[in-house]
Amino acid sequence: MSSFHWVQIPYALLTLFIVLNYGLIMTAVVQKIAARVGGRHGIPFWQNYIDLVKNFAQRSKITHGVMFYLGPVFRLAGGVGLLLFVPTIYGSTWAQNFSFAGDLVLALYFVFFGTLGMALGAGESGHPHAAIGVSRGLAQVTMAELPLALAVYAIAVQYHTLNITEIVAAQQGGLFHWTLFTNPLATVAAMFAFVGTMMRPPFDVVLAPQEIPIGPPTEYHSAYLALMQTNRAIFPVAKTVIYMNLFFGGASSWGEFAIKVFALYMVSAFIGVVHPRFRVEQSIRFFMKWGVPVGVLAILMV
Amino acid sequence: MVSSILILAIGLGTAFGLGLLNRRRAVLALGLTLGALGLMAAMAVGWLIVLAQGAAPVEIYTAGAEPPFAINLRMGLMEAGAITLITLTGLLAVLALRTALTRMGRGSMAVVLVLIMALSGLVMTRDVFNLFVFLELMAISTGGLALLSKDIRAIAAGFKYLIISQLVTILLLVGIIFTYHATGSLNIDDIPETAMGFSGLGLALFLILIAVVLELKPFPANGWALDVYTAAHPGFSAVFSAASGTAMLVVADKLVKAAGPDWFAMFTLLGLISFIGANIVALRQDNDRRLLGYSSVGQLGLLLAVIGQQDVLGEGYLYVAGGLVLSHAVAKAGLFWMSIMVKARGLSDWAAIRVRPPLVIAFATFLAMLTGLPPFPGFYAKWELAQVLATTDRLPILAAILIGTLIEAVYLFRWFGMAMKRETDTPLGPKQIDCMVVLITLAAAFGLGALWGDLSENGNLFATVPMLAALFFLALEPMPAKLKNGLAIMALVYWFAAHAGVYDPMRLIFLLVMILGGAVILLASFNEDGRRVGFYPPAMLMYAGLALLLEAQSTFEFFAAWEVMTLGSYFLILRGKQSEPHALSYMIFSLGGAFVLLSGFALAADGVTPFPLSALSLVPEQVAPWVFALLAVGFMTKTASVGVHIWLPGAHAEAETDVSPMVSGILLKAGLYGLVVLLLAMGRQSLHGVDLVNVLAWIGAISAFVGAVLAVFQEDAKRLLAYSSISQMGYALFGLALMNHLGWLLAVMFVINHYVYKSMLFLAVGGVYKRTHTKLMYKMGGLITLMPFTFVSVLVGIIAMSGVPPLSGFGGRWIFYNAILETDLRLPLVLIFMSGPVGFLYLFRLIHTIFLGQLKDENHQIKEAPIWLLVPQMIFVAFLIGFAIVPGLVLQRVDRFLGTVFGDQPLIWHGRAVESAFGNWNPVAIMVVIVVIFVTLFGILIAKNHDAVKVKQFNIVFSAERPYRPETTHFAWNFFAPYRRAMGFMEMPLVTRFWGGVSEALSGTAEFTRKLYSGNGQTYAVQVILFVVTVYLIALGGVA
Amino acid sequence: MAQVSLLIGFTLILLGLYGALTNRDILRMIVSFTIADAGVNVVLVSVGYMAHRTAPILDSAVPAGQAAARIIDPVPQVLVLTAIVIGLGVTALMLAYAYRLFRLRGSLDISQFMDLKW
Repeated sequence: MSSFHWVQIPYALLTLFIVLNYGLIMTAVVQKIAARVGGRHGIPFWQNYIDLVKNFAQRSKITHGVMFYLGPVFRLAGGVGLLLFVPTIYGSTWAQNFSFAGDLVLALYFVFFGTLGMALGAGESGHPHAAIGVSRGLAQVTMAELPLALAVYAIAVQYHTLNITEIVAAQQGGLFHWTLFTNPLATVAAMFAFVGTMMRPPFDVVLAPQEIPIGPPTEYHSAYLALMQTNRAIFPVAKTVIYMNLFFGGASSWGEFAIKVFALYMVSAFIGVVHPRFRVEQSIRFFMKWGVPVGVLAILMV
Repeated sequence: MVSSILILAIGLGTAFGLGLLNRRRAVLALGLTLGALGLMAAMAVGWLIVLAQGAAPVEIYTAGAEPPFAINLRMGLMEAGAITLITLTGLLAVLALRTALTRMGRGSMAVVLVLIMALSGLVMTRDVFNLFVFLELMAISTGGLALLSKDIRAIAAGFKYLIISQLVTILLLVGIIFTYHATGSLNIDDIPETAMGFSGLGLALFLILIAVVLELKPFPANGWALDVYTAAHPGFSAVFSAASGTAMLVVADKLVKAAGPDWFAMFTLLGLISFIGANIVALRQDNDRRLLGYSSVGQLGLLLAVIGQQDVLGEGYLYVAGGLVLSHAVAKAGLFWMSIMVKARGLSDWAAIRVRPPLVIAFATFLAMLTGLPPFPGFYAKWELAQVLATTDRLPILAAILIGTLIEAVYLFRWFGMAMKRETDTPLGPKQIDCMVVLITLAAAFGLGALWGDLSENGNLFATVPMLAALFFLALEPMPAKLKNGLAIMALVYWFAAHAGVYDPMRLIFLLVMILGGAVILLASFNEDGRRVGFYPPAMLMYAGLALLLEAQSTFEFFAAWEVMTLGSYFLILRGKQSEPHALSYMIFSLGGAFVLLSGFALAADGVTPFPLSALSLVPEQVAPWVFALLAVGFMTKTASVGVHIWLPGAHAEAETDVSPMVSGILLKAGLYGLVVLLLAMGRQSLHGVDLVNVLAWIGAISAFVGAVLAVFQEDAKRLLAYSSISQMGYALFGLALMNHLGWLLAVMFVINHYVYKSMLFLAVGGVYKRTHTKLMYKMGGLITLMPFTFVSVLVGIIAMSGVPPLSGFGGRWIFYNAILETDLRLPLVLIFMSGPVGFLYLFRLIHTIFLGQLKDENHQIKEAPIWLLVPQMIFVAFLIGFAIVPGLVLQRVDRFLGTVFGDQPLIWHGRAVESAFGNWNPVAIMVVIVVIFVTLFGILIAKNHDAVKVKQFNIVFSAERPYRPETTHFAWNFFAPYRRAMGFMEMPLVTRFWGGVSEALSGTAEFTRKLYSGNGQTYAVQVILFVVTVYLIALGGVA
Repeated sequence: MAQVSLLIGFTLILLGLYGALTNRDILRMIVSFTIADAGVNVVLVSVGYMAHRTAPILDSAVPAGQAAARIIDPVPQVLVLTAIVIGLGVTALMLAYAYRLFRLRGSLDISQFMDLKW
């Protein structure tokens, strides 16, 4: 068990910086790919930077109250915290971040920190679309996260640890040491959760741009939205890092990291591009019918 | 001691003497009657004292000859007790009847005296023919007293009674003469032990015994008696129930003793049928006196059954039978006398007594007494009876008795609920003397409770400090609430301080939560002004029960504490505005659970008294699983595990603002404590190859899931919290059932956390309720700016509860993950995993629909919750944050203790951080990282958006319109509609339907059965004859 | 002889009961009960009867010394006396009831007094 040294702070900031830029570019690239698939031209890959700067610079700002104000802070703190509680690069001395504070359980539960704060902030805006979005999101996540929980249990039993670094270590030594191959059931189950929580079709009814314009963040603008956009760059990457670490052998270099995260992210993008959207109850039933049984099998088979 | 025949002589003499008096000197006649009864009672009491000190029973011979040539009487302990009861009942009855008696004149008084004399004679005589004479005197005087009424219904009832008396006479006389023919003696002691069967003497004895049984009004041959109960003056009904009943029980006892043990089975069977049957029929009764009549019939049936069980009761027989008789007689007489003051006959008309708190206390006392609750004699008797029946493998009898008692509790406490909660148009007609009579009876109830406790070999509840403290608060009732509250808090803190040092860490946690935690919640009660009558005695009774529960070393102490706690909390819950049906269902489930516990303890003890709790581990293998199952079911009733959970939502939601946290945050832990004690002592048990602990784990998991899903669908904030408790208790149960160190640590975490956040949330929601006057969340909204402190406490509460880092709920989750990795119990885990995220749903709904969204127009003016509601909440907030950073302060000690239990030490504590075999948890680091990130980002946002304009309520982009009406914009009702579409099938009220079916079946049976009582005297006579014939045939069949 | 009176006694009892249970008229019921009472008394006496013995009166005809062998058992006879007295009392009381019931309702039909039921 390692402990805290001051030098970890600049290290962590560096990780954060890399991941932020990576996330901004990657999400834009994925957008562009999706547009091209749809026969459109798409956005430039630096579009996210433009949006970020624009939103930060916006001069007209309103607030609906304290929680509204704090919502984006919660949201981004959730994303940054999630990133920093998980080691990013296996074997690197400096990209271990603050993972000494806790293990996998911490990461799993900290996912909800941002969600909760965001939902609270959106709620104070008083906009019904925000509330509807939250209602949908929470309802969907109850079932979508379940396969992951089961998969995590399965691999924790398999590797006899909850420590992420140790789990990654156990997968070293070749492709076939990955959990993907040593425990395919758990991996498949987890991928259900992954696809289900990446806010992409068919599971993106939470933001539902057509019916409830952009869901929970409806009322957000200016720096608030900038914080949330920052999170949109960081959070999916942070989450993908967890999946990568748990099931796909982790990353021992930034290059490997970039490729694996992109590949994983593309899984959900792929599925999203070719599928229409589920209603919430449909996706709940979908996960009950397909994701959860795989997860249950996974915990029974270990 | 003076000869006890004087008791009869005085009664008879005065009765005749009254005839010599001037017709108009009614008051003098009344005085003489009272004097005579007083004298008779004094003699009886004298005898009782002498005999109780160990003097031998005294035989009184008459006519200068020895039996069988002359009648003899006997005065033993049982006789003295019965006569004391009879004469005192008579004395008080005359006081209660004074108006009627003075109006009707000396003749009526003479009849009363003759009745009491006849009853005393019945008790003492050893001669069957003399018995017949006294019985006829009883019949005639009873008939005479009914005749003096002006009410045609009473006169008709009296006539029906006489018809049956005629039948009894015929049976009795024929029986007597053939007994005489066979034995050549009329003396009871000369009757040889005779088997039931075809023999002449057998038939003769059957006739005598069945005649006596008929006088005990056995169900279903008792329509006539019910009419008497209903129509007669209640002052007299009390005598009819308490005194006549007691006398006939003594007669039944001495006759069956003579006839031999062969007849015991018949008595038991008839008694049990009567007990259960009468109680079921009473379920549909809405006339108070008829209800009491049914209850009397039932209780006499119970006692008949106890008489039939004397072969196994042995030396304890008098203690058991006496305890039950006295409980029945005192309570029933008290209730009949109370009904004099209640002027209308509906059950809800007893609402009139609410203007006189002492009468309410008396009412509650009598009901508790009838149900066999502590600290009254029936409780000790019931315990003893259960022990014996379990030891001698008469479990079906025990089960029948407990079921009957439970059914009786249903209608008695429903009645109490009506009296407390409903309104009546008919005011109370309180006369000082009537009140006095009731209060004397009340005093007798407590006196007998103390006496029976003193005689008990298991310890006296009245000798315990918490119990006395609770009673002391009865005396404090006239004081202002704030003073009482201060005293209550001091008492709790004192008890905590006095015991904190001696308990092991496990018990210490419960002491902390129950007693000190109770004191913290009581801070909220400072909010109440006035005297708050009826709050502190039950509250302190509940805390007394909890304190005693932790003190308990033996199963008896444990059970007694359990019942005390149940009783106190019932009264407490009943205080809520809409809580009548919910308090009742709480009481029924609690009593049902308690009776299951009782059976379990009795089965475990196998006759050993007192049976230490620790000896549960020594229970022999063949019964251990059953004991385990019974106790577990009993405890799970209290933790509201799924299946027996339906009482909880209503009971917790409808309770008062400061009561909800007590019954939710504290009381539920009693069930967990019970389970801890049980599992510590008994460990794993398996029944038919099924590991019962695994069954517990499944129940826990299902409760966790079902409770959470149902919480999601609630519109009522307090109900939401209540369902969430079912879920949380499910988690804790699951943790315990893991049967490993970390599982238990998890349960301890839940004990603490659930107490804190549930108390806090209930207080917060209670504060909101105080301001908005609604518990429906969709009627609230946008309260964040108006009630910021309450908002903070809810916010902290839900973060802690949902398990999101950095607050203390996360610690629970972390321990949970570590605990489950060590178990083979995989499948129930799925449910537990499922219920986690569902928790977010209802928690978010709680905070969103109340505090966020759109503020309603009518709520614009409301203020922050009262300060005293906020004080405990802020204490809890501070505690939650502190506990989140340094959980080790509390957990480390328990962890060490659990190490001694399980013999392992899976957690390694490094200062503030913890390491397990699987992972690590560094609460301080987590807190620091999160706070630093949060503050930094907050700083950035402030730097950018410090000049944001605060906009008005409806300044939102809403399809290019502005709504202006919060009702249409506050998305709150059916908030999780999508989730309901997917998971709505979980709402199917299967369990409710099941229990509803049970209750409907019972009530249907009651409705159907009571049609037996057609009201026609002839029909009743036919029923009696059919009853006798049937019993005879069955008895013969039983012999053959 | 004893058997015959015993039989008569029981017949009276059954007759009386039959009458009491089939007649709706209260007075007839009372009379029926009196018949049954009489039957009981006959049974009592016949059980106590011993053939070829004299009345249990100690006088010159029956010296005290031989009493035990020559008189019948006096106890049942005493019982009968008591029972008759008590029966009278009960009958009187029932008649008083009949009177009161008639005064209050103007009817002596037992099925008219079903105000209380269930």
